[in-house]
Amino acid sequence: MKKVFGYRNIGLVFGLIGLLVLAGIITPSMFSVNTIISMLRNNAVYVFLAVGMMVVLVTGGIDLSVGSILALSGVVCTSLMSSHMEIPNIVWVLLSLAIGIACGAFNGFVVGYLKVVPMIATLGTMYIYRGFAFLLSGGNWWFPHQISEGYQAWAGKQIVGVPSILWIAAIVFILAAWYLNYRTTGRRIYAIGTNVESAKVAGIKEARIRFLAFVICGALAGMSGMLYTANYAMCTYTIGDGYELQAIAICILGGVSITGGRGTVDGVFIGWLMMSVITQFISLLPGLSVWQKALQGAIIIAAVFLNIAMTRSSEKRFLKERGALL
Amino acid sequence: MAENKAAVRDLTVKEGFQLSKFLVKWEMILVYILILINLILAIARPGLYFNIGTIQSIIQSGLDLSPMVMGMVFVLMLGDIDVSIASNMVLSGMTTGLLYQNGAPAIAAVLAGILTGAVCGAFNGILVGYVKMPAVIVTISTSMLFRGIVEIILDVNSLKNFPAFYNAIGWRNWGIFPICMVLYFLITVIFFFILHRSTFGRKLYIVGNNPITAQYSGIRVERVKLIVFILMGIMAGIGSIFFVGRMGGGLSSSMGTGYEMDTIAICVLGGVSTNGGKGKVYGPFISTFIMAFLLYTLGLIGVDANTRKIVTGIVLLIAVLIPSVNRQLIADIKLKVLYKNNKNIEALNVKTAAEVKELKAEIARLKKTGDPDRKIRKAEEKIASLQNTCKEKTAQMKAELAENARKNKERFS
Amino acid sequence: MNEQNYILELKDVVKTFGGVTALAGVQFQLKKGEIHALMGENGAGKSTFIKVITGVHQPDSGIMLLEGERITPRNTMDSAKLGIAAIYQHVTAFPDLSVTENIFMGQEIKNKLGMYDWRQMNQKAKELIEPLSKEIDVTKPMGSLSVAAQQLVEIAKALSRDARILIMDEPTASLTANECEELYTIAERLRDEGVSIILISHRFEDMYRLATRVTVFRDAQYIGCWDVDKISNQKLIGAMVGRELDQMYPEKTAKIGETVLKVENISKEGYFKNISFEVKKGEILALTGLVGAGRTEVCQTIFGIMNPDSGRIVLEGKEVNIKTPVEAFEYGIGLLPENRQTQGLINELPIYQNVSSADMKQFAKASMLDEKAEIQKAIELCQKIALKAKDISAPPSSLSGGNQQKVVFAKLLNCSLKVLILDEPTKGIDVGAKYSIYEIMNELAANGYAIIMVSSEMPEVLGMADRIVVMKSGHVTGEFDNIEVSQEMIMAASLGEHRKEARA
Repeated sequence: MKKVFGYRNIGLVFGLIGLLVLAGIITPSMFSVNTIISMLRNNAVYVFLAVGMMVVLVTGGIDLSVGSILALSGVVCTSLMSSHMEIPNIVWVLLSLAIGIACGAFNGFVVGYLKVVPMIATLGTMYIYRGFAFLLSGGNWWFPHQISEGYQAWAGKQIVGVPSILWIAAIVFILAAWYLNYRTTGRRIYAIGTNVESAKVAGIKEARIRFLAFVICGALAGMSGMLYTANYAMCTYTIGDGYELQAIAICILGGVSITGGRGTVDGVFIGWLMMSVITQFISLLPGLSVWQKALQGAIIIAAVFLNIAMTRSSEKRFLKERGALL
Repeated sequence: MAENKAAVRDLTVKEGFQLSKFLVKWEMILVYILILINLILAIARPGLYFNIGTIQSIIQSGLDLSPMVMGMVFVLMLGDIDVSIASNMVLSGMTTGLLYQNGAPAIAAVLAGILTGAVCGAFNGILVGYVKMPAVIVTISTSMLFRGIVEIILDVNSLKNFPAFYNAIGWRNWGIFPICMVLYFLITVIFFFILHRSTFGRKLYIVGNNPITAQYSGIRVERVKLIVFILMGIMAGIGSIFFVGRMGGGLSSSMGTGYEMDTIAICVLGGVSTNGGKGKVYGPFISTFIMAFLLYTLGLIGVDANTRKIVTGIVLLIAVLIPSVNRQLIADIKLKVLYKNNKNIEALNVKTAAEVKELKAEIARLKKTGDPDRKIRKAEEKIASLQNTCKEKTAQMKAELAENARKNKERFS
Repeated sequence: MNEQNYILELKDVVKTFGGVTALAGVQFQLKKGEIHALMGENGAGKSTFIKVITGVHQPDSGIMLLEGERITPRNTMDSAKLGIAAIYQHVTAFPDLSVTENIFMGQEIKNKLGMYDWRQMNQKAKELIEPLSKEIDVTKPMGSLSVAAQQLVEIAKALSRDARILIMDEPTASLTANECEELYTIAERLRDEGVSIILISHRFEDMYRLATRVTVFRDAQYIGCWDVDKISNQKLIGAMVGRELDQMYPEKTAKIGETVLKVENISKEGYFKNISFEVKKGEILALTGLVGAGRTEVCQTIFGIMNPDSGRIVLEGKEVNIKTPVEAFEYGIGLLPENRQTQGLINELPIYQNVSSADMKQFAKASMLDEKAEIQKAIELCQKIALKAKDISAPPSSLSGGNQQKVVFAKLLNCSLKVLILDEPTKGIDVGAKYSIYEIMNELAANGYAIIMVSSEMPEVLGMADRIVVMKSGHVTGEFDNIEVSQEMIMAASLGEHRKEARA
């Protein structure tokens, strides 16, 4: 198990198990297969955002615009689909990816090549993309009857009893893990995040890698927009508001370092499961659903606090080792 | 020390006023932008300037976040950021509203609201200053936490009872000036004195520019951060008065989202660097009005509130880009001047090529005429040596170029 | 000797930075399969020399021959291709990436699909590491290894690139005795396998154990090259420090009074142990030793940047507990930091604001700054130290290094202090400006300040200090009165053997 997850993630797994046991005792209804599947399905959209966010965080950046990219791609796909039902449904997936890539590329350009702080750059584009989402939606809502079944099937079609959106999420996890562990550019993302200067000395092009990270993040966010509208069979320009915070929260829970260099797909997977369980658990407790946001905020603070405490203790250990030399 | 006398003359403080410099200051450019927007307005809607009421309402509509702008200037000055202010504002507003609704005197309720803001700010400040967590993450989390608390308490209800003067701040005028504008002006004056005249303001500049030097200069960096975040919290508390007043005395848990972004955008436009240490109080003061007039102008030409977000975003991006683009432009021009040397490389290569060609022709001629091999070999050797020198020189020039480019990059980065 | 025997040869290499000469026409010859020690004081030009060989810097003139052929590496990638690799004391790698990945960075093994072949890479990394150390897990992140292990990984990395010339910069500086022994064995084996090694070390132990020849640099000059078994310790130290004390130092006029600051047995885990010394009124005490001996950390501890684990600091007979620089200033202790750019100055603010930054209270009325008084005082102070500036509302970045340092001096003089700690006060300052810094120091001593000066420059220490404390690896290894001491004695103390008994 150590080999698979690493030390930090073992802690996370135990935390998750503890949480599940607690949840099971208080709300036994949580443990039916249906509840679990619907829980995962409701949280599936976060997979795309969190994995993309992780890639950006590993480079030492942050992307606040993912929620807006989700809305923009959702609005474009839904509005076109509802008026052009005859177009094959695969087109919408590709279109959502294209929109995401375009948005991500703009972010990446501003951050990578114009050297604007990621936080501020994506803060700006977050507005811009959300504004475009509104413009293109004309303030309209789309409801289930306007959304074709074929379109909805991208998220809802049951394959071996599991809705397709979860299959796609699984594929994204696997692809991301593969890309980040086995491809040169994937590894370069880590190299940039862990030590920019060394990376430059080793001949890695910093701007290009940063650009790429934002493109990946954008592409996944774009896809999540289409899948969101397919999953819930509704759409308007406000969808995905605040999802960027959720995605960051999942990453932090999953042990992704916000200063860059560290973060794994399996960590994000566990972080996502934890966040899903917490959300579900809270929603099952009567009268507690309003606690959701406050609890999530508190959990992130606790997670970062833990991270910092762990780093400090390892620094102390290092000094002790050095002290032995004197 | 004998040199002293010579040095005495040199130490003058040049406080002389230079008109040309003053006119291109960022804050002055903001004034021009403001005037330009007003000119466009005056031309597009000539009736507007005969109706003081409209202008008052433009200002009123744009100033509901104004107190938070001043708090944010200080936070950005440190090189930190606070995205929890909108949530903090709603939480403080709720405190006031609940207390007032349950019969507390207006003044007590308001003070309790501001105190709530201060406590929230202190929470942020302790985590950022003393625990040394990154401000972005802390305030993202606390923005969820604070708004979460509001959701717990208010759920889907909304508060309707607020002190009467709230409405006045949002909608009334004092003479020809909107009350909120007068108050904002007073707040700005106070912040001006703190930042530009007090020891604390100087400490802010020092910490924002170089926290390590600040520590070596005996400044308690952690405490400065805590105080700034508490101030930010207080301004969010005061901001709730402006905000609720403008909202017509109602408050629900989902209100005010995105205000943190608007606030940051105004500060950045006002010339406050997000890297810390740079900025003045009056820049953001002017840019608050720019945003108010800009958004109103857009409204006039039929752009709705949501689309205006695009403009806010673009303004933010452009404002951050201006300094860096300028630097890059200068660097590019410098590089282009240096690039001239590249012509030398070209010329060198062209010249060598011509010479080699001549020599080759010579060899061909010699071969034809059947001259001794020695001559041919000599010519061949000459070609080789020519090519070698050319190669070496090119490499050397290229190296110089690269070195220069690197040095330039360092200088401008 | 036949030239063909040299694998690497440098002739008349000159490198200058701005006006500072870092290498003034040095020579160096490395034979194939030898371990060649390179020695010299701090700042003798050794690190610039390495950087020239590895292509980080290009020499202004002079030539470099690799197996008789001229080479001009432009960056570390070029030199790596030529088979030259350097292993630095402070490893600059990717701490979050695995050992394997660090070894193969830039030349990863991929399968036909362009995917990383981790299995093969781990296998190969293991093969590379195993002869060096059996304990390193190649899948662990680099940052989790000890410094010694990280160095071994760097060696393995160099070997994976078929390095023929290995440069080891202070490889034993942070190793325990056992680790040193392991490293020696490895170095010897590499030598036997035909790798040529340039060993830079301050430890005679390393040199005698490994090297066959030694080259000495001093003040950017090439001094000489000897066979190790034919040169004595004394002679070598003489070569390293034997410069004429030709630079003039101002006459010291201060009267030495009572003890002001007394440091008793202070220790800080990982930095220094049981340090004691005292400094008197009007006295300049030099704290010297090699870079990394813990001098700066001792100063920072007195100043409150770091807090000691044990020991006492006594100021004018009373024990003081200084936790932060704020308290240090209140007790009258000021520090001129080692790096004026990152620790001493705020380059974005005007000179006078820099000067007033450590004590603004004196200009404050009800927390509001009286800027006129502030400027007035700044002008006074700047005149006192003969600052050459046109305009004190200009930022310090417009000044020369020496004048920038004077601004930091003025900043300290603005506070009412008794003890001044000057950490490398003349670092990176040209000769003329140094003299005026010395003048300032003498005048301050005459005015009754107790001064602790950290310095790596031997002539400066001998020219300025009344007493000298020498540190080595976190311990005091010698204390001298200036009258009785020679350069050689100081050098011997700073190179002195580790005091390992503390560890047992």
